[in-house]
Amino acid sequence: MSGRRRLPLAWIATVPFFAYTVAFLFLPAGSVITGAFKSNSRGGGWTFSNVTTLFHEPYRHAYIVSIEVSAITAALGAVLGFAVAYAMIRDNTPRIFRGVITTFSGVAANFGGIPLAFAFIATIGPLGIVTVFLRNHGGYELNQHLPLFTQNGVEFVYLYFQIPLAILVIAPAIDGLKREWREAASNLGASSWQYWRHVGIPVLLPSMLGMFILLFGNAFAAYATAYALTTGVVPLIPILIGAYYQGNVLDNPHLAQAMAFGMFVVLAAMMVAYIPLQRRAQRWAK
Amino acid sequence: MEDYEAQEIEFWAKLEEEGMSRSSMLRRSAAAAFGLTVMGSSATALAATRANLAGPPATMTKAGLADLVKAAKKEGHLNTIALPPDWANYGEMMSTFQKKYGIKISNANPNGSSAEENQAVQSLKGDSRAPDAVDDGPAFAISGTAQGLFAKYKNEYFNTIPRAMKDTRGYWVGDYWGAISIGYNANLVKTPPKTWKDLLKSDYHGQVALNGSPLTSGSAVAGVFGAAIANGGSLNDVGPGIDFFAKLKSSGNFIPVQSTPQTVASGQTPISIDWDYLNLGYTKQYPGANWKTTIPADGVYGSYYCQAINASAPHPYAARLWQEFMYSDQGQIIWLKGFTHPARFQDLSKRKVIPKALLAALPSAAIYAKIAFANSGQQTKAKTLIASQWPSKVGS
Amino acid sequence: MSLSATVWLLLAALYFLLPLVATFLFSLRRVQTNACCSLAAYGFVVHNGDFWHTLRVSGVLALEVIAISLVLFVPTIYWVHLKLPRLRPVIAFLALVPFVVPPIVLVVGILKVYKGSPVWFYDRPNGILAATYVILAFPYMFFSLDAGFRAIDVHTLTEASQSLGASWPVTLVRVILPNIRAAALAGSFLALAIVMGEFTIANLAQFHTFPIFLQYVNETQPYGAAALTLISFGITWAAMLSLLFIGRKRGGNLQLAGAR
Repeated sequence: MSGRRRLPLAWIATVPFFAYTVAFLFLPAGSVITGAFKSNSRGGGWTFSNVTTLFHEPYRHAYIVSIEVSAITAALGAVLGFAVAYAMIRDNTPRIFRGVITTFSGVAANFGGIPLAFAFIATIGPLGIVTVFLRNHGGYELNQHLPLFTQNGVEFVYLYFQIPLAILVIAPAIDGLKREWREAASNLGASSWQYWRHVGIPVLLPSMLGMFILLFGNAFAAYATAYALTTGVVPLIPILIGAYYQGNVLDNPHLAQAMAFGMFVVLAAMMVAYIPLQRRAQRWAK
Repeated sequence: MEDYEAQEIEFWAKLEEEGMSRSSMLRRSAAAAFGLTVMGSSATALAATRANLAGPPATMTKAGLADLVKAAKKEGHLNTIALPPDWANYGEMMSTFQKKYGIKISNANPNGSSAEENQAVQSLKGDSRAPDAVDDGPAFAISGTAQGLFAKYKNEYFNTIPRAMKDTRGYWVGDYWGAISIGYNANLVKTPPKTWKDLLKSDYHGQVALNGSPLTSGSAVAGVFGAAIANGGSLNDVGPGIDFFAKLKSSGNFIPVQSTPQTVASGQTPISIDWDYLNLGYTKQYPGANWKTTIPADGVYGSYYCQAINASAPHPYAARLWQEFMYSDQGQIIWLKGFTHPARFQDLSKRKVIPKALLAALPSAAIYAKIAFANSGQQTKAKTLIASQWPSKVGS
Repeated sequence: MSLSATVWLLLAALYFLLPLVATFLFSLRRVQTNACCSLAAYGFVVHNGDFWHTLRVSGVLALEVIAISLVLFVPTIYWVHLKLPRLRPVIAFLALVPFVVPPIVLVVGILKVYKGSPVWFYDRPNGILAATYVILAFPYMFFSLDAGFRAIDVHTLTEASQSLGASWPVTLVRVILPNIRAAALAGSFLALAIVMGEFTIANLAQFHTFPIFLQYVNETQPYGAAALTLISFGITWAAMLSLLFIGRKRGGNLQLAGAR
């Protein structure tokens, strides 16, 4: 590592970055943190009541569901995304697949909201083409095993943008798995499973952890799709925030800000767990 | 509606500082004349509004109309917000206005919510893109007035608007009302549902949807009110309404998906509980869905929307002319064509100026006579109850 | 092609293409009968002036956001990987903040903070909206670029390049950049997708972008919405393919790692 004396100068290069994030992220977002502790009552002033309310129903349940949905879709998205990414990168697959899948993933990763909800309703909803097909050809009621308007349904639909995001992020990391390592491993008599366990996965682990965090955050903040499918019957925190901040009915901006603050705490906790895990994983990679 | 008026004065007396620089205020003399220039303490602000500064008028008579038209034409532009063209026939309203006066309308955020409208008034204050007028739900008209967002304006027909549908000082006026209704696809729904209680029948398994969640959608809240009235509740207690939807969900009749033109046209929401003017509009728009509408007689609940003028409107004269147009007989009939009941409905029907064909297109007046409106106190109570009970009783 | 690869790609194709097929079938229905077949929905979209106008606005916005993001983030992350590895977790943490700030809060805050700014910044989408979208793209850009930088040996490359006499900018542009091409492209794709899909902020700031048009059609025109969904999917995909093509042309030679 370059000498300690150079650190002060080295920091200067990061100034544009920090200046930008302060200007366009922290200043505006600062109102979230402070607003969470402001009181709605006429006199103004500070209060913890908005934050303590979060521990009661329905907010507590909404946080649990939000975290569940995000964690499950992040984990599934990571695993399935990795499988597809590896399938398209490995040696025997024609190169054209990679270009097509990568660009498709770019579009699909941001495909959400009403169009995505409608696309799935039209596919596996009560009148969806697959549902109707299975009903007419075998009397199989798809909605009994895969009901769309439930938490599981929402998770199933969320994968549509989670998996592509995973593919995009993990593919460059898979590129880093040098072919020589695979050859060396097989020369030493290692099976495929052993290669992955001792070489592949340890090398990829830091990137996969980062990918998991990204997927989690991505799902955690999403709501348009879930709202179109279930109008909040599956309670998610961003839906509640929207209801209190910008709907036609409820109006409690400080509570909404407290909920956002709660989201911040959850993500911060994940990062705190991520840092030591990532350091351990890094050791294996080097 | 006295209780809210008391609340009003109190809030009004404590205007919040909007942080607008003095110089930009003075640049906009028209808006400055309009009174909500928060120049410091609330007392001076109040005094400023009472002083009769030159600028756009606060009341309108037939005589003053010609001047207003001239001034508005000079401005040449109008910013509206959250007016879907196929909601209450706003499309025709806007195109007729544009053709009649040659004033171009920019309509932003057609499907926006009342909260977004008020937010836009605040966020874009002083900007030429700020909305000139808003069409808010009553709760937001009231809170917007308390925040000093709106200007006082009594249009030419102010006195013919029912007292229950306006702010007597002139900060907002009700524009049209409608009742909550049950719309259904006659191709997919063999036995038409007629009442709230009907919806619980097993014939309608997996078919009943709301236009959104009562936590965010005014239409869904109205659905809860209507169901409450039909099931032993009242305007003061919507608990039975929430229980009704809980029962509807557990029986499997209720599907949580949001009903939209897309789901209605495609048949994915065969039954939709929504405003009558929306459901009635679908019949002509989507013939493939064979859509019919009933107003359930056991629970007739209605609500109205409110017009208000932005206190710091970039085009204050055009904003007032817009209101004049909408409340003229011509404008009111355009709203009627959109299957809504315009605010001056009683006045128009007394003078017999409503075309018979339009009256025939609406459901019978007898049902509408039973209609109940909740005042702001009852609305707040209902919303609090819904916010605390809906997620656990109807949620998963 | 190996068996497991085939199976995975087939399953993926099924999951991702079937919903699009269902949308397509719906878009062909007639209004009068809700049954096949008519191209009226596509005609509605293609002949709509708003469609072309907002597409142009969003297209330019996307290019701008990608350019600013790359210029801002690539050197920073490169520098962090090279000289300031302790800073990495800090930046990773910052990269999560955009997820936590609900778009509505962000836009209200930004409109408030920058109210006094000049008209060319405040009143144009290419000013304040682009700046905000760069922040939205930040998490995706960061994690993509981070993965990319991890996969290459930054120190060796830099030392080699410098020992051959190259200055910092030359090293960055002609040695490092081609090696993280895949990651930079991935980040750019995501930024493009964000611009073509972001609704709340553009809506509240009253700008007229493509997603605004999309949402409006979604809420009002059933068949048109389905047609528009597929058209916009196709357009975004084509845009990404062209980005890929551009990227390939520039950096085709200096690939020292992951030779695909």
